[in-house]
Amino acid sequence: METTPPGPSPTPLSLTGLSVKYGERPAVQSLSLTVQPGEIYGLLGSNGAGKTSTIKAIVGLVRPDAGEVRVFGRDALRDTLGVKAQVGYVPETSMLYEALSPREFLEFVASVRKMDSATATRRMQSYAEAFRLGAELEEPIATLSNGTRQKVLIIAALLHAPPLLILDEPLNSLDPRSVRIMKDVLLRYVAGGTHGVLFSTHTMEVAEQLCQRVGILDRGVLRGEGTLTALRGRVAAGDASLEEIFLRLTEEEAGVRAAVDSLGEPSA
Amino acid sequence: MSWREAFRVSSVGFSELCFQAVYAFRQGNVLPPGRSKNLLARSRRRVIQSKAVIAAVLGLLAFGAAALIHQKSLNPEVLSSIPVGLFESAVLTGLLSLDVALLWWTGVQVVPILISSGVLPVLEPLPIDSRTLRRVAVILYLRLFDLPALTVLIATPFAVALAMGPLAGLATIPGVLVVILYALALSLLTGRFFLRRIQGSRGGGGRAIVRWAYLVLWLVPAFAMFAFITAAPAFFRALATLATQGPSLASGLLVAAFPFSLASLPVIVSAGAGSTAILSPSIDVVLAAAALAYVALAAWAGIWLSRSVRSLLFVPAQRTAALAPGTWTLRTEGSAWAVLRKDLRIASRTPGYAFLILLPILDAAALGLLTYASPSQGPVVTSLALGAVTTAALLATFFGPAFFAIEVLAYSYGRSLPLSNRSVILGKVALITLMYVVGAGMILGFTLLRFFQPFTFGAFVLAELPAVVAAAFLELGLLFRSARRRGLAITNLYSGAWFAVLVSVPGLLLAGLPPLLFDLVLPSGLMLAVGVMAAVAALELALTIPVAFGRGAS
Repeated sequence: METTPPGPSPTPLSLTGLSVKYGERPAVQSLSLTVQPGEIYGLLGSNGAGKTSTIKAIVGLVRPDAGEVRVFGRDALRDTLGVKAQVGYVPETSMLYEALSPREFLEFVASVRKMDSATATRRMQSYAEAFRLGAELEEPIATLSNGTRQKVLIIAALLHAPPLLILDEPLNSLDPRSVRIMKDVLLRYVAGGTHGVLFSTHTMEVAEQLCQRVGILDRGVLRGEGTLTALRGRVAAGDASLEEIFLRLTEEEAGVRAAVDSLGEPSA
Repeated sequence: MSWREAFRVSSVGFSELCFQAVYAFRQGNVLPPGRSKNLLARSRRRVIQSKAVIAAVLGLLAFGAAALIHQKSLNPEVLSSIPVGLFESAVLTGLLSLDVALLWWTGVQVVPILISSGVLPVLEPLPIDSRTLRRVAVILYLRLFDLPALTVLIATPFAVALAMGPLAGLATIPGVLVVILYALALSLLTGRFFLRRIQGSRGGGGRAIVRWAYLVLWLVPAFAMFAFITAAPAFFRALATLATQGPSLASGLLVAAFPFSLASLPVIVSAGAGSTAILSPSIDVVLAAAALAYVALAAWAGIWLSRSVRSLLFVPAQRTAALAPGTWTLRTEGSAWAVLRKDLRIASRTPGYAFLILLPILDAAALGLLTYASPSQGPVVTSLALGAVTTAALLATFFGPAFFAIEVLAYSYGRSLPLSNRSVILGKVALITLMYVVGAGMILGFTLLRFFQPFTFGAFVLAELPAVVAAAFLELGLLFRSARRRGLAITNLYSGAWFAVLVSVPGLLLAGLPPLLFDLVLPSGLMLAVGVMAAVAALELALTIPVAFGRGAS
């Protein structure tokens, strides 16, 4: 990895009292968390829990109503370009330049990220090979499948080897082979002990396999945070799966049972 | 399911089509604030307004042609050289040609929207039988053209009936029907070509040339009116020559040509075959055979349309050639150049943006040709050419702000990149400058071919250049300031075009002031006029750079 994390703080990401509102509706409420060097942090939550709003505030797409976002010590609200240069971002929905081909899109991203042609080409080729992208690199993005678009977004996020990766549901639409590659890439990514990954998902198995720590977000509030062992201790269930922990912390366990019961038999 | 049910289903699809056409939400555009119900009603209203404008133009053309036929005495020069019947046929030929051009132009613009809206693919998985889906597709396609096509169908016979009598009006109907069916079929054909070869075109230099060539072709119908007005005197002169020569192969071909044969039917019905017999002794036979052939072709086009529309509404299956990725390279460059290259690439697959780039350039080419072909003497041609350069500058700066709308296409993702406003502004200013330089260069080339005065023209083009750059800086600076304040992509071409037009006003003033001063000072000497122009333009540039890059802008 070529980019050296700058500044006095080696902490890849720290959020302090982050709040985001859409009109009067609070999406994230006073959220504080850190992503440590060498860590994959999983942000878990149901649909509408505030995961994407948190991520959008970090990458500068939404202006927080309160709180602080720091990336390697840099204030994301003041030094926006500096922070964006340190981050690789995979959005939840692939709203891209539909009229460009992936190669043209990656050329644009690499140029904006001030990469040299040789490095950009080498990395693009190795990731494209890993994800088995061939002729698709020259097809307009509008004609590509969701999975291929997701691969393009992942390559764009990894291309400049950023010290912090912000991934919003990155495994959506990927085939099993690509999911496996992505998981291995992420594990290798943080192995050096300097880089960090914030990973949002609502797939508990993935979080269980990948993340050193998870934060459980519910209606914009962080209900619990820590390693799997620590969270098991918190809900007083020694062998609980992450799914069970999640349902207990978000107080949804009884609600799930009631919802399933109310559905009755599928054939009825 | 019945046609009635198909119409009901298509109404839902058409609402979605209007919404996508106006807000392009599926392409990643940002919706303006407001309740979705209001937005839907607004989008329907805007689509109706757009159709009404096109229909009004078509109606005006019909009644304009009828007035031209009715007021024959206003054209004594033309009528002295060609018979009245031939004149009437020629006018109606022009009318039908313009109708085809304008309907086709409408289709070329709206068919890609129909495809990209994804209306029919949404309906496919529902339990609706194949025949109904085909009917829904046909109805959706026809509704794109309903008001304009109905105007042609009703206004043309009515206007001709007023000018030449009711029988002549009725005799116009076959020609009008053929025109509508041809325009619809051409729209479908070009829509398919657009889908496969333009929007779906792979990268690469050769393919980019094909894309830009198509996009030039795409603009040609828009120039039909201009070309018709320009070419009308030449057409009448050619007709007069043919009429003087008597029957010949060329005049026979003209009688059989589309749409002359169909346009002659009302004339023959009202005045007899003798009115155009001067062109061919067997005019009845030639006209009947040609008209029947065109009607048969139109009937076939109608059947083909009804069978093919449904397949058009699907994006073609992805080709999966297993090529090694190692053959592709990324060539990086500065951020501003990357923005310029990206905009050109997007425009090469998006007619709406290509239109903005090509219009000033094609306009400059047309004006350059006119200047070159003008029979006037030196000073007049010089002022024509300099006026044309000014027009190129004004058009480039008027359409320039719309390029900001490209940033809306992937607004969320684009803002996550470390791309400064300064780079975006520089990229857009480079594009506007490029449009001016290419347009002015074309005029310069044509003019120098006729009058070799490189200093006068070269100095004028160069002196105006800083004013164009200044106008672009001012317009984009104002746009970015407003975008920053309002926190959203305000220049969506569909929902916020008014703002782009508004910021163009000070830009037009900046671009227009130096040429105005040139004209005022010219009587005192050419050198002084160019000097004043250059000084003012440079001053404008110096004053506007802070607007673009100063506090609050970038």
